[in-house]
Amino acid sequence: MDETRREFIKKSGGCALGMVALATQMHHLGSVSAFAQKAIDESASPSVGYKALVLLYWSGGNDGNNMVIPNHDDGTISNYASYAALRQPQGLAIPRDQLLPISVPRLGGLTYGLHPSLGPVTGGVNNGIHELWAQGKLGIVTNVGTLVRPLTKAQYQSSSFQKPYQLYSHSDQVTQSQTANSATQAFTGWGGRIADRLASVENPSGLIPMVTSIAGAQLFTSGQVTLPLAIADSNTTPANVLNPLGFTNTGGSARLTAFNNIRTYDLSNNYIAAASHVTDLAMQANTSLQTWQEVTATFPNTSIGRQLKQVARLIKKRTDLSVNRQVFYVQIGGFDTHTTQLTTQTTLFSQFSQAMRSFYDEMVVQGVSNDVTLFTLSDFNRTMNPAGTGATVGSDHAWGNHMFVMGGAVNGGNLYGSLRPDGSGNYYPTLLMGNTTGALDDADNNSSGRGRWIPTTSVDQYCAVLARWFGLPQDQQTLSAVFPNLGNFPGTFSQLGFLP
Amino acid sequence: MHRKEYWLTARGLTLILTLVMMAVSAIAQEDPDPNSPTPILLTESSSIRALANRSGEKGRVDLNRLRPQAFAPGSTVDIYVTNLVLLPDEGPLAFRFYAMDREGRTYRFPVVDMERLTKGQTGVVRMSVALTDELKYWDQPAADGDVLVYLTWRGLASNFAKLGLGSVGGDIRTPSSAVPAPLGTVAAIDRNGTSRSLSPEYVGYRWSGDRYRFLQQTTFGFEPNLDSRLRRIGLRAWLAEQFDAPYPTPSNPYPNQPLKPANAPADCDGDQTVTPDVPETCFRDTYTMYPIQRWNNVEALYGSSQLRHRVAWALSQIWVTSGNDIQQSRHMVEYHKILSANAFGNYRTLMRQMTFNPTMGDYLDMARSTKNNPNENYARELMQLFSVGLFMLNDYGQVLTDGSGNPIPTYDQNVVNNLTKVLTGWSFCQTAASCPNLTVGTVNFIDPLLLTTGNHDLTAKTLLSYTGSTTTNIAACSNCTSAANITTYANNSAEQALDNIFNHPNLPPFISKLLIQHLVTSDPSPEYVRRVALVFKNNGSGVRGDLKAVVKAILLDPEARGDVKTDPNYGKLREPFQYATNILRTFNVRSADGSTLSDGMFTARSEFTGMQQIPFRSPTVFNYYPPDYVVPGSALLGPEYALMTTGTSIQRANFVNRFVFTAPAVAVSNPDVPLGTSLDFSDLQALAQADTTGNQLVNELNQRMMYGTMSTEMKNAILTAVVNIPATSTANYLQRARQAVYLIATSSQYQVQR
Repeated sequence: MDETRREFIKKSGGCALGMVALATQMHHLGSVSAFAQKAIDESASPSVGYKALVLLYWSGGNDGNNMVIPNHDDGTISNYASYAALRQPQGLAIPRDQLLPISVPRLGGLTYGLHPSLGPVTGGVNNGIHELWAQGKLGIVTNVGTLVRPLTKAQYQSSSFQKPYQLYSHSDQVTQSQTANSATQAFTGWGGRIADRLASVENPSGLIPMVTSIAGAQLFTSGQVTLPLAIADSNTTPANVLNPLGFTNTGGSARLTAFNNIRTYDLSNNYIAAASHVTDLAMQANTSLQTWQEVTATFPNTSIGRQLKQVARLIKKRTDLSVNRQVFYVQIGGFDTHTTQLTTQTTLFSQFSQAMRSFYDEMVVQGVSNDVTLFTLSDFNRTMNPAGTGATVGSDHAWGNHMFVMGGAVNGGNLYGSLRPDGSGNYYPTLLMGNTTGALDDADNNSSGRGRWIPTTSVDQYCAVLARWFGLPQDQQTLSAVFPNLGNFPGTFSQLGFLP
Repeated sequence: MHRKEYWLTARGLTLILTLVMMAVSAIAQEDPDPNSPTPILLTESSSIRALANRSGEKGRVDLNRLRPQAFAPGSTVDIYVTNLVLLPDEGPLAFRFYAMDREGRTYRFPVVDMERLTKGQTGVVRMSVALTDELKYWDQPAADGDVLVYLTWRGLASNFAKLGLGSVGGDIRTPSSAVPAPLGTVAAIDRNGTSRSLSPEYVGYRWSGDRYRFLQQTTFGFEPNLDSRLRRIGLRAWLAEQFDAPYPTPSNPYPNQPLKPANAPADCDGDQTVTPDVPETCFRDTYTMYPIQRWNNVEALYGSSQLRHRVAWALSQIWVTSGNDIQQSRHMVEYHKILSANAFGNYRTLMRQMTFNPTMGDYLDMARSTKNNPNENYARELMQLFSVGLFMLNDYGQVLTDGSGNPIPTYDQNVVNNLTKVLTGWSFCQTAASCPNLTVGTVNFIDPLLLTTGNHDLTAKTLLSYTGSTTTNIAACSNCTSAANITTYANNSAEQALDNIFNHPNLPPFISKLLIQHLVTSDPSPEYVRRVALVFKNNGSGVRGDLKAVVKAILLDPEARGDVKTDPNYGKLREPFQYATNILRTFNVRSADGSTLSDGMFTARSEFTGMQQIPFRSPTVFNYYPPDYVVPGSALLGPEYALMTTGTSIQRANFVNRFVFTAPAVAVSNPDVPLGTSLDFSDLQALAQADTTGNQLVNELNQRMMYGTMSTEMKNAILTAVVNIPATSTANYLQRARQAVYLIATSSQYQVQR
């Protein structure tokens, strides 16, 4: 390819990437492109005050059935005995006396129970998230999962109602929960799509991108024009996390100049442009991260603890970075518990509970606990029916799952969710499996049904409530662009009041 | 999609071209020209407006009388292309037709049909293009004026032309280099040159660009001796040599530490305070991945069987296990032996051996799956990741859709359940009589899994059903009254199930595309995938799954070969391990003091681990990066970009900085890195001294690292930085060499293998 052609593509933007690369050269991370400019009201100005959304992702498919458990004896809905009947024989049931009780006003004050590792634990640095329930800072949204449209069991069994593609497959369900689109493969995540529309209004002079991942590249964080800041956890300080080394020896200054210049050449190849663009982002953010302050709260020295600590450091630096709205992604893995689930969950639950609590406490110290909302997602729930038995007992891939939402803005201390599309049900899945009479929440419909709950709240609905709180414009065009299937779920905001 | 077959009328030419392009002969003394001609999109004589007319217009189209016209979105338009040398059955899916609008957004319009109008390379091919974007990254383009279009084929991009969408005109910017390419004058603008005949005395491989590119695709990096050999014997003879080369390299045998108990004994628990370990490194050498990592890295840096190691590395990223769950290095060794032994063997054998491999059985739980407590993990991933994938594919690797445009699933949960049943009952081989490698007190990770007959599901199973499937239904066992009968039934069932998967139409395109992505380019054309998939289906002797033939087809394909690739969407990001070994091998990698070979443990340094691809430590069964990862900001497949973030991009630069400028010293306190790793720039230092303008230095590196593709801007930027260092001392000549190496190695231009 000759020079002029290369030059041309560089200037005009060979494709989306070319354009992003071009925009990056303008050194304005907040104002990106003609596309983003057009998508927003040009007269808009930043909202007052700071807000952040933090997605804590349970990677591998967390078994929510052992996280939020009925802890009552009410015979009219599934109770502890219903739970124990399905899990105790193989040794997967959490003993009732270990459950941490939570009272649920929306279910007439019935008591449910959290997994014991969500309270104080041996060697912990705090009391965990359980006590935030009573303080009204922690809520649970039940039976959330991927859906294209609401489904009853009969509709699920029929081929004429569209279902999410490749249910029970990790990669596809991760993709769907991060793109909030279960109808078709999407190239952008909903976190990125929010930033596409808000970054130039809310963070017009932001020194880092609106979206930050402490867990590498994630579909959630990428929009059409948004690329995330992706950095390592708190083991590396903000000053060092993007710091290219070695420009201090002989020729170093000239080397740095060339290093930066070379990234502006040969952008006609889209792979080259993509790599250069990412490095550009890193180099610009690095300059802004050289000064920072340590947080006050003690965080556990676990991966998820260090990730949330790094998030807290960035939030503490929000004014410096000129960011008014931020989206963060953190992740804890290891939930694919086909085997040895009991010990694995005990460890992982205490890790994220400890980390979440430290994070909440730090937000209180920073005075932004009402402005920062942490929420969870996962690939899927796991089968109510255990896999294996005894010491190595685990569970397989399933569907609808329970999610935590934490923060001062949350209407906490309650279960949220939707009833079945036909109006029946009780916010919490009925613990019956297969073709048993009344097993209306299990997608399986035969004698060996394993308990895969058909979600009553879609990921799209759950996320749309979070996005609305965050400040996503609620006009139809924006909503359908960010959550393309939301229109299939009428009444979302009236049913899911976990955030204002 | 409607597809026609076209044959050249000049039979003699066809024959020659077929031989040249398919390159079927491995014993050829000389290699054919690897370069395909660059396609030319015909335009009007006085402008760059593409010659085009609505498809299906009645009567004969006179290319000299076509008038500028606008085309409706969604309609199909005929355009005209020349300077092509097509394989006999090469169809429209070998081409990709791109359009750019005024906003700089790119769309891709599918080429739905093609017809050869006149014969020969200078002949004209009519292509029918549907004006409906298939990338779906943006909304459909606005129909408000000209778009800029070009065509790609075999990694080569055509000239730019204009096409009226909705209306003619508008203010689309055009590259100043774009010139009209009218009918009849095309020979004059054939930028690629048409004739590259071999001189009679030439033996071996003359096209240096292609040779360097080939080395990137087949080895862990350029190395001068390897290049010399390749130059002498040619690609095909070299491939034949590699297929038969001993593996592992005799001086680097597999590290076969004895198996140890699952609970580390006191003399091997890494704790020297109470009971010292015997030997002191017992824990490291048993219960960590250290031995196989070190072995693997040394083999990559110095091994003589580079291609097998490279293909095994690719297969290890398809059939993934991980030291995050696998306890002992020896467990991983037994798994790796299956990958390497079958890298040039048959995929069906690989499937069987891996299914019963205890390491895989441990990692994906098949070793714990019984009829009463089945575990779906292996059955699901066997289909999803290791063989047929989630959606029905055609031979081109394209996802098939139903009437509503939704992808057709390959299988449903029911098939997962049934395959799970077939694979119940196998566990670790712990019976002395049946397990020759059993060591008392340890779990047997050497012998294949052994059936416990009482744990096998004897009910009927229904597996994958597809056109031509023959082993879909496995009947319930009718005579399972003895252990011997159950064993026979179980083994037969497992073989039937594996046949059922192996013969599925998805397997050839699914695996072929993955291997192309690992070796050559991230987003191959559908036609390339199909050419390889056809070889996967039949190696020419009626054998399905012959990986040797598949690897050869991938590497000798015209889309893989050629001195330079100009398609903006061609190439792949070097994954971290390749990136590191490619750089190290290019500069005579040695031990820290240069006196001997490196210990290979560069992968233990934080600058390497920060790039997030530690060998044998994939985070999950989905590998370090997913094969369908799309480069953010595009619809372009780029799996390795899942590892290219703001954080890792700087780690990459810091890795280069560490090994180019400050070779890490060997610390006595760290027995895990006994020899260290350093690079040798003495030859480059001499060049820097011989030519103080820096030109020779940069030219040499341009050849060695970028096979001559470095742009003038990039070269000038490097030269400026090089001559900034005063040419006053030996130390500074070395610093000049390092300066240039650093800048090339950290550039995106080098990080992308093209």
